[in-house]
Amino acid sequence: MNKQLEVSNLSFRYSDTKQKAIADINFTVDEGEFFCIIGQNESGKSTLCSALVGLVPFYFTGKMKGDVVVLGENTRKSSVATLASKIGFVFQNPFNQLSYTTVSVAEELAYGLGNLGIEREEMHRRVERIAGLMRVDHLLNKSPLELSGGQVQRVAIGSAFIMQPKILVLDECTTQLDPLGSEEVFDVVKALNGEGITVIMADHDMERVARCADHILVLDGGKQVAVGTPAEIFSDPSIRQHSIEPPDFVTIGRRLREEGLYSGDITLTEEAAITAAKGALVR
Amino acid sequence: MKIEVQNLRHIYPTGEEALKGLSLVLDGSASIAIIGQNGSGKTTLVKHFNGILRPTSGDVLINGESIGTRSTAKWSKVVGYVFQNPDDQLFLDTVRKELEFGPRKIGMPEETIAQQTELAAKLCGLDKLLDRHPFDLTSTQKKFCTIASIITMNPDALVFDEPTCGQDVRGVDRLCEIVNTLKGMGKLCITISHDMKFVVRNFDRVIVLYKGRVIMDGSAEAVFSRPEEISKSFVSPPPITRVAQGTGLKKTVFTIGAFMDAMKQTETEAAR
Amino acid sequence: MLMAKKKTSSYIPMDSPIDRLHPMVKIYAIFCLGISALVCPTFILSYVLVIFLFIVAWKAKLFKKFAKFIIGFAIPITVMLLFIHGLYSPKNVTYIANFGFARLGLEGTMYAIKLVGGLLVFLGSFLLMTTTTHPGKLVTALIESGMNPKVGYLVLASLNIVPQMQRRMIIIKEAQMARGVEVEGKLLTRATAFIPLIGPLVMSSLVDVQERGMTLETRGFGAKGVKTTSYIEVVERPVDRLIKRLLVVFLAITVVASILARLIR
Repeated sequence: MNKQLEVSNLSFRYSDTKQKAIADINFTVDEGEFFCIIGQNESGKSTLCSALVGLVPFYFTGKMKGDVVVLGENTRKSSVATLASKIGFVFQNPFNQLSYTTVSVAEELAYGLGNLGIEREEMHRRVERIAGLMRVDHLLNKSPLELSGGQVQRVAIGSAFIMQPKILVLDECTTQLDPLGSEEVFDVVKALNGEGITVIMADHDMERVARCADHILVLDGGKQVAVGTPAEIFSDPSIRQHSIEPPDFVTIGRRLREEGLYSGDITLTEEAAITAAKGALVR
Repeated sequence: MKIEVQNLRHIYPTGEEALKGLSLVLDGSASIAIIGQNGSGKTTLVKHFNGILRPTSGDVLINGESIGTRSTAKWSKVVGYVFQNPDDQLFLDTVRKELEFGPRKIGMPEETIAQQTELAAKLCGLDKLLDRHPFDLTSTQKKFCTIASIITMNPDALVFDEPTCGQDVRGVDRLCEIVNTLKGMGKLCITISHDMKFVVRNFDRVIVLYKGRVIMDGSAEAVFSRPEEISKSFVSPPPITRVAQGTGLKKTVFTIGAFMDAMKQTETEAAR
Repeated sequence: MLMAKKKTSSYIPMDSPIDRLHPMVKIYAIFCLGISALVCPTFILSYVLVIFLFIVAWKAKLFKKFAKFIIGFAIPITVMLLFIHGLYSPKNVTYIANFGFARLGLEGTMYAIKLVGGLLVFLGSFLLMTTTTHPGKLVTALIESGMNPKVGYLVLASLNIVPQMQRRMIIIKEAQMARGVEVEGKLLTRATAFIPLIGPLVMSSLVDVQERGMTLETRGFGAKGVKTTSYIEVVERPVDRLIKRLLVVFLAITVVASILARLIR
């Protein structure tokens, strides 16, 4: 498979701090993957996400060691603006991802394109397509400030995706949203991944991570403690030491197995857990 | 501590009728979770409990006294409200000062303030951070700082607005400890939350709101045993409960232990 | 949870010929009309221009709003300036009224009236511009005329700051009231509440600024060697060019006439 992102021996210490925020991170992400980053608060997830798009070291100053290579380009030799058309970034607070210089959602979606000097007709074309993908076409003429958190977050994803990056980095993008908003955003992300966009997502929701991830990276105290498939990560009991609770579905399967009531694979999803339990009852 | 809501209607200046004539009685120390989709009126309702919002019609009685008789600042002595975003509240230069701020404002005697500060700091894991500048705290520590600053005021009831938002496993565990301790002290804990795992772990009574009205009110077990009804307000039971329901178990369960017991029981019944 | 429900800036979208005018025409109008009003020796021109602005406001379908502002502004300002210049101006030679504690002088009064007239023309035309011009179009037009795009961003973002801070302040007030801070009432009470309200406003604004900076960067802001384009199109029509020329000619005539008038005296 095509390697789109390579992180080698990455470490970063913010200026005026004594401890490294992330240390010795090594992993690769293939084309079209759904890659999740998990870890408790302050484990370095946001720093890592910022490093993938160049905000570290260009926006957040400090000492960076190691390399991040995005689609063949080393981030150190590039700039955040140049990287924006290769790797897009969406973070937690939807309202801080508006430009506050536009009067309509359509303008807001096109904002980044103006900065890249894309000509107007192309802008209009892309806005129409993206609005459909983000399911905000009915909101195009509204002011971005009239939207709900979930809608703003979709506009944020749209305004990042309209710059045609091949990779999207999402740093806890649904944490501040209600369940409905969260689901709407997540449906859009899954749809984009379905179209071949590589997704790198830092998240707290273990159930969602187990269901969607191709690979998971676990961080603790800035260090990389494990990289693997959901099955590998969640079947390892030592994960609890890093304050990660496996999804309840996995625990159900594990308990059923312990009682001798189930002997199948790890149950990563609700459906798998139900099937296992039903199977156990029939015995 | 008794909070009575009587035919409460609230219409925002925009014309939106957020609450359409609610009536509720919240008393004793059984903890209460108010759930429902965004726009169902949850925040509007709880903001009436300490007078941030005032009824358009109907009334809210705190221990028999109408909410209109005092200002919100005066009500804060009796009903505490922990806001979601710590950056909207913290402004002093040490954690200790933040914790002592509220009690001083409501006229608590100095020795009591010292006691309360120690208690709250311990409960919220801030006892070693009392001299730190809030600016230097992690986001989790800031959150607990705001919770502690309300606990020090020693109100009889506390409202928590989406307390688990952005918390990791350790943070939620500490939150559960805090709620349990407060319950043990006889305080009425009320929360608005989207996190059903948190709700079933700590709250005895669950009230479901939908479009400004109460659509269900009962124990967590009673409410989550009817998933089709609560789905109207975009609420679904926590994962373990859903698996149990999907498997066809009759009992509504919330823990793995209860799930396994229910499985064994069903097996035994089937064997008969 | 998070919700924001207000409109940005003071732009009122209305389908009117004034709305459709090119933004630079309106900028020209502010300067040409304003300077003409101040340069002209008699105050009559300024008040004629004010009447003209009323007609423009009516054409822009904003008559009521405009009238409210002018009257709301004009009356207190007129009284204040009449008081200051009418009673205390060193130019006063002829006196037209005696109030006991001071006398009302003709020259000072005339000066005050002229000043008010000039102010009304400037402010009135500025108000008409902001209420009839899409801010994005205004900034695009300014950038096309040579303004730095980064300045353009600052202008637009600043227009939004006040409504946002107002919204935040409401939440901060509620949060601090829950800690026993009284925010309404006597002046002293409000003064004590100042720091608990401003502190979080500043802190949260700092956080917002940092995060918004991240957004701008990751949307390619400030990309080197790129000429920025705009989603909104601003077209200069023949009628816009004509009006611009008329305004400049008007200013020129007024300036020349004023110089001549002063020379003749």
